[in-house]
Amino acid sequence: MTGVAHDAVAHDAVARDVVVHDPTLRDGQHAVRHQLGVAALRGYAEAADAAGVPVVEVGHGNGLGASSMQVGRAAVSDDLMLATVREALRRSKMGVFMLPGWGTSADLRKAIAHGADVIRIGVHCTEPSLAERHLGFLAEQGADGHCVLMMSHMATAAQLAEHAATAVGYGARAVGLMDSAGNFLPQDVSDRIGAIAAAVDVPVIFHGHNNLGMAVANSVAAAQAGATIIDGCARGFGAGAGNTQLEVLVPVLERTGFRTGIDLYGLLDAADFAERELMPAPPVTDTVSIVSGLAGVFSGFKHQVLDASRRSGVDPRDVFFELGRRQAIAGQEDLIVDVVAELGQVAS
Amino acid sequence: MTVTQSTPTGLRNRVAVIGTGAIGQDLVSKVHRSPVLDCALVVGRNPDSAGLAHAARLGYPTSAGGIDAVLAADQPFDVLLDATSAAAHVEHWRLLADTPTLLVDLTPSKIGQMVVPTVTGTARSTGRDVSLISCGGQASIPVAHALAERFAVRYLEVVSTVASTIAGRATRLNLDEYVATTQHALTTFTDVAETKAILNISPAVPPATFRTAVHAVIPGADPDAIRSVVDSVAARVREFAPGYRVIACAVTGERVVVSVEVIADSDVLPHYAGNLDIINSAAILVAEQHAARLSAAGTGVRS
Repeated sequence: MTGVAHDAVAHDAVARDVVVHDPTLRDGQHAVRHQLGVAALRGYAEAADAAGVPVVEVGHGNGLGASSMQVGRAAVSDDLMLATVREALRRSKMGVFMLPGWGTSADLRKAIAHGADVIRIGVHCTEPSLAERHLGFLAEQGADGHCVLMMSHMATAAQLAEHAATAVGYGARAVGLMDSAGNFLPQDVSDRIGAIAAAVDVPVIFHGHNNLGMAVANSVAAAQAGATIIDGCARGFGAGAGNTQLEVLVPVLERTGFRTGIDLYGLLDAADFAERELMPAPPVTDTVSIVSGLAGVFSGFKHQVLDASRRSGVDPRDVFFELGRRQAIAGQEDLIVDVVAELGQVAS
Repeated sequence: MTVTQSTPTGLRNRVAVIGTGAIGQDLVSKVHRSPVLDCALVVGRNPDSAGLAHAARLGYPTSAGGIDAVLAADQPFDVLLDATSAAAHVEHWRLLADTPTLLVDLTPSKIGQMVVPTVTGTARSTGRDVSLISCGGQASIPVAHALAERFAVRYLEVVSTVASTIAGRATRLNLDEYVATTQHALTTFTDVAETKAILNISPAVPPATFRTAVHAVIPGADPDAIRSVVDSVAARVREFAPGYRVIACAVTGERVVVSVEVIADSDVLPHYAGNLDIINSAAILVAEQHAARLSAAGTGVRS
């Protein structure tokens, strides 16, 4: 509910349920160049399951079938990732993610055979028709197929509502937004999630990134505007400045008047495990991440921009702003080489 | 050198085009420009489509009757250019397998004999169904094949980016076939066991020019030798697709990235639609060289 004072809602007996999805073992992969090993996958999945996290998502950072030189080759195959996490989860559902054009229906079939319960199809925010076939396939299979509109700062609230409704027409059982570049402020989120919630009659998803330090605030704004599926990652594990920090998100949602069903101590233990076993260091909002958020460029470009800039002596901040000017979308990492070469020529 | 032009006089191939999206419209336009091809029928499914209107404006017979209109023609066509969808092409081939018509498949159906002009030439050795694989395949395989011929390539990957405004519904519904067919062709033409194909659809405004990045793992890669091979193959592709150019060729250790861009040379396509231009240019080359063969054999249709 919007416009209701926090304290009033916090003690309201009819607190609204929010389903928290945890893509630590999928989106977090971006921060470690998709190198999570089997022991880390198993250990974190067990910890999240013990805490009662409803959905634990796993895979290469760009989803099923996405291990590649373009975005980074994974240390562990999709099959092994899925089998490992499936075995570790007792209560939690297993989630997977797929980008059409990167993965295919064959990957979806494989994920279903491995026992994936929630299957998200990601598309650039203005291109819902790329998901038509895969959402249709999932509906035929009776699977819980969701659709997320990525890089959603690149479209207006009205456009996003229309595209979300289109995805529901294709069979999506939930639909929502990823703030892939961490560009939104809370009001941006309220406007967009509100418009989507008014346009569809399925659960609405929000997935935040923390480039401008707004991920938790944006997630609360999303829940207040009608989103009922909110993503968070342990310690904010994710590309660049990271995702919404899960163990902060959950108690804040609870205090705001939402019910997650997650055990706090279990969640904190899972987050401690994640910090110890998954990441060299928790994400911070560093210079490059701030610029990537301001430029509206996917944070997953960070390592490749830094690598290429370092080799050429170009300022990575300039590279991010130029990529933003070219409206690079997630998956277009090959543009980095061009932009660095062009800026290098200008500089020399 | 396998790409040659031959312009017989007095003999023109009777060509039908099926599919009236952007690919079909550009094909009709390119057939119109060709000195050896005669557009005998343009077929769609929607009588009000812009594609049929475009063909009618150029003075060509049109039908909204789909493949039935092709089957019902008084005499068989020499060439059918199929710009529909992968599933439709499978059916078209089934229906036309017993006719003398050469099917040139611009869908990623994966059933015909694969042709990449600079690699295979355009002659068919078996069957009458020529597969042009995919736009990403046409843009990347010349480079990938040349690299694999000269160097020990351990892994190959191609990533193409197409502007949203020219990715029609069939393209969007056929992403799985696009990936499978492009990957299959990469492996077949390079003998590299592990390959990967990726397609991005970009909504950037102004629209992004079609580009394809070829990533390769080549131990001991020598940047100068690689650049020279890539430049030479690009010059060969430009003989039939003049908008093809290398925009980056970066070697970092054993990682090689070659980016190519194609600007459309077309009366109907916007300049950024190089994805459609390169596959259509290859299709026209196949049809023209088929005309030359029919001419040499004394068959074909007198106009």
